[in-house]
Amino acid sequence: MEDKKDYSLGNYDVIVIGAGHAGCEAALASARLGKKTACFVINLDTLANMPCNPSIGGTSKGHLVREVDALGGEIGKNADKTFIQSKMLNKSKGPAVHSLRVQSDRRMYHIEMKNTMENQENLDVYQAEIVEILKEGNKVIGVKTKIGATFYSKAIVVATGTYLKGKVIIGDVSYESGPDGVFPANDLSQSFLDIGVELRRFKTGTPARININTMDLSKTEEQKGDEKIVPFSFENEDNEEIKHKKQVSCYLTYTNEKTHKIITDNLDKSPIYSGKITGIGPRYCPSIEDKVVRFSDKPRHQIFIEPLGEKTSEMYIQGMSSSLPEEVQIQMYRSVPGLENSKMMRPAYAIEYDCIDSTNLKLSLEYKGIDGLYFAGQVNGSSGYEEAAAQGIIAGINASRKIDNLPPIILDRSQAYIGVLIDDLVTKGTNEPYRMMTSRAEYRLMLRQDNADIRLTPIGHDIGLISDERYEKFLHKKQLIDDEVKRIKDTIIKPTDFVNEHLESLGSSKIISGVKLSDLLKRSELNYENLAKIDTNRKKLPDAVIEEAEIEIKYEGYIKLQLEQIEEFKKLENKKLTTDIDYEQIKGLSLEARQKLNKQKPLSVGQASRISGVSPADISVLMIFLNQRGM
Amino acid sequence: MSTSTIAAIGTALSNSGISIIRISGEDSLKIINKIFKTKATLSPNSIVFGKIYDKDKLLDTVLVSYFKAPRSYTGEDICEINCHGGTQITKETLELVLENGAVLAEPGEFSKRAFLNGKMDLSQAEAVINLINAKTKTEARVFSNQLDGNISKKIKKLREDLIYLLAHIEVSVDYPEYDYEEVVPEHVIDLLNNKIDEITNIIDTYEQGRIIQNGINVAIVGKPNVGKSSLLNKLANYEKAIVTDIPGTTRDIVEERVNIGDVVLNISDTAGIRDTEDIVEKIGVEKSLKKLEEVDLVIYMFSALDEIDEKDLKLLSRIENKGLKYIVLINKMDKVEKSIFDTFMKQLEQNDIKNVIPVSVINDEGIEKLKNKIQEIFNKNDLDYEHELIVTNARHKDLLKKSVEFLNQALQEIKNNNPIDIVSIYIKDASKYLGEIIGADVSVDVVNKIFEKFCLGK
Repeated sequence: MEDKKDYSLGNYDVIVIGAGHAGCEAALASARLGKKTACFVINLDTLANMPCNPSIGGTSKGHLVREVDALGGEIGKNADKTFIQSKMLNKSKGPAVHSLRVQSDRRMYHIEMKNTMENQENLDVYQAEIVEILKEGNKVIGVKTKIGATFYSKAIVVATGTYLKGKVIIGDVSYESGPDGVFPANDLSQSFLDIGVELRRFKTGTPARININTMDLSKTEEQKGDEKIVPFSFENEDNEEIKHKKQVSCYLTYTNEKTHKIITDNLDKSPIYSGKITGIGPRYCPSIEDKVVRFSDKPRHQIFIEPLGEKTSEMYIQGMSSSLPEEVQIQMYRSVPGLENSKMMRPAYAIEYDCIDSTNLKLSLEYKGIDGLYFAGQVNGSSGYEEAAAQGIIAGINASRKIDNLPPIILDRSQAYIGVLIDDLVTKGTNEPYRMMTSRAEYRLMLRQDNADIRLTPIGHDIGLISDERYEKFLHKKQLIDDEVKRIKDTIIKPTDFVNEHLESLGSSKIISGVKLSDLLKRSELNYENLAKIDTNRKKLPDAVIEEAEIEIKYEGYIKLQLEQIEEFKKLENKKLTTDIDYEQIKGLSLEARQKLNKQKPLSVGQASRISGVSPADISVLMIFLNQRGM
Repeated sequence: MSTSTIAAIGTALSNSGISIIRISGEDSLKIINKIFKTKATLSPNSIVFGKIYDKDKLLDTVLVSYFKAPRSYTGEDICEINCHGGTQITKETLELVLENGAVLAEPGEFSKRAFLNGKMDLSQAEAVINLINAKTKTEARVFSNQLDGNISKKIKKLREDLIYLLAHIEVSVDYPEYDYEEVVPEHVIDLLNNKIDEITNIIDTYEQGRIIQNGINVAIVGKPNVGKSSLLNKLANYEKAIVTDIPGTTRDIVEERVNIGDVVLNISDTAGIRDTEDIVEKIGVEKSLKKLEEVDLVIYMFSALDEIDEKDLKLLSRIENKGLKYIVLINKMDKVEKSIFDTFMKQLEQNDIKNVIPVSVINDEGIEKLKNKIQEIFNKNDLDYEHELIVTNARHKDLLKKSVEFLNQALQEIKNNNPIDIVSIYIKDASKYLGEIIGADVSVDVVNKIFEKFCLGK
């Protein structure tokens, strides 16, 4: 080893460590913004891997995918290329919570994303384990690989997922490993500590994969995809090929008393209950042992069986992640109807890994006090491919903008789920792997998945990730929406017999005088589609345009309320705080608030109000202070 | 920041056993040493027995405690004189302290200093902000009581139920593939109706709470020489508790503050009534009625020696019709023949005037009845101070009102068959307003509740 000579393999603008869902978006964004970019991955065959469930989207996660797409990211397009089942969830509920979710072909997802990365101008993808961050003063200047190569850069995006000192635990067996049997990154953690990055330890887990040929699916409920497929990417809005793609099914089954008995009888062998696992696991992703213990009154739990791809027999057993010993797992899975004779192909496991405390980041995702060092994805304490991608694109954009001396892109909570996600991580922090949920968004009626392009594509265009061509197309769509909204508001429906018969047939009350079409559309039993017969002047319009126009009118009142709430929210957001305020000097702030505010240095009173430990009373004190200062 | 040493009476002015005069500031000890003689040594955090002297005159035997900065309520040097209760002694002692270099404290000034010196604990801080803005001493006292345990508890409970409902809605939204039973509209309607009732009940206690906090604002109305001043003195002497506030200790001029049992009467001229003697004569029925609407209780006083004229009757009828609270006293009942007195009563009865009490202030007759009547009118005895929730803070009342508004809106939406997550927007807002009373963040609570109550995930 002492003979090892360090050597340089080049200079880049931006280096991305990791090529998972965060790393890929970061690298693509940076390269697309014209920055010479290098993306490192421990094993190229794991680029954009899905080590957990083979699906993209779901409630709020689908929103994130749409938003990343609207900004010019890749996850939506890649999901559209590789899905094998598509569903719009929550269709019976309000438009704010309609959520797109697809089952993906895991290998194809990897192949397509790798292909996109390989063909991206300005981007080099390289297989190497990064072991050291090089720093000069408080500025990062490059990285070093395990073999000894040095790469220099002006900014670094760290997207190491669950690889940092990864440790897999199955029963009382544990070993150093990254996810899906890939080797872990054991050395980089020390380098982070050396340059002053604090680390903590989180835990997550995944269920077993089981061969479909060993299942009796007749004992399960088949779950098919939607007939009408909605693509993720706004670019694919009128892609007929996607809309007519052949789909595969998922299957639903349940645990039972027998399953639960096997689990409780073997609890002492669970590393979580025996104290072997110390990392903090997510509440929303509990292992089956957790569920059985914590919700002992529930006689059964749902189990979803999802295909990993078209050319594999591996099925993902959603709802049964576990870290029980392998032999107990086999018994446990076999107690479930349909899985009696099943053969496991990969056992369930828990994984522990190093991550950072996200409150040490700025809203730009740059690490406080270390110039040019950005973090994105699971290493920030989040979970999920979509959450990772959302942070990835923002980190990639901001690393690039830093080099150009441009201010960072910071989306606020009223603009995007991405804003909610990053603000939650950076301002509130998290004590467990963070999952996006619609309930975390205060203004979710505005943050719909259908209008992500209206919210964010102009920003994506300004940044430079949305082409002029796509932007023109977007403006055209927006014009169509505005025109249709205006037409519906201007159209008067007369109380003819025909109209009233039609209304009554739809369970709606008759009209006595002429009413605006928009007022009819606001009735809960009426919609754009079933009003077709009496709305004779309508043009043929794309589905996305109709959806948008309909929501805008139908939910006008609520949207107005929400806009007022946003106004209120902006008041506090617009009260800016400078980073030179010493909160120790503000008498009347609680001790905890002083410490937290000094650590976080929030940019606005609004952000300050979301820091845990800062109470409304502290905010009042802060406002008095600002008034006294004439701020 | 001001460095003056301030003083004020720290206990309610009443005929309680002990009154406390609080002095805060760097001269506290110096002032005490000038007026207080003791055999013991007054060291920090101790309480010693001794005597208060006004020059050579012994005023009272007292206990004095001393808290050294910064370990005191305000963070400054504090001395407290525990003197014998009774307003006269307390008042004289305070005056002595003021003569010796202290400045009379502004309303809420001790708390303000505590706050500015970083001595206030978190839960009090919000009340303090209000305190600083409080315009009157009474208001200040209300604010300092505002974070009363009962209110927080009750609001927390209310909010808890709403957050549980929200969590249930969120679960069905965020985990649509799971088999949790969907939220049933009928249940939501029941729950919302319940909460609306509960909150409305709390809002209704506001008036009562204000009266308890601030006392009942009373106007004694009547022609000259019917006995208004005598009544005032009688009421005051009745419990030996007449209190003339030291000028400047309060900014709203309570002319007389009288304790009747547990009720405090503020016989004030805020409404400008007592001075006008015969307001009916002076400003006319309509205007005087408007004035009278500003008080909680009108004591309309006649002398049995006089006659009831048209204007009296007209004003009384209007008071009755407006639903104002009033008591009619017929004074000097001992001075007239029974037949005249009966005519008097009959005349009032014919005009539907209730709450008539014959009295003889001089002979102390009927005063007990008056006292009972006041207590009866203000429902005093029905209130369980310890356990009943009473809202005393206008801000709290407003927030409660807003939350009811939003709950009603939610109810409307659900009845109109709108999707449950749309309904939840309003419920969320309602809980937000409730949360503002106790200082909590809705979305965090909802998320926590989801994980506490529902079993989800892969």
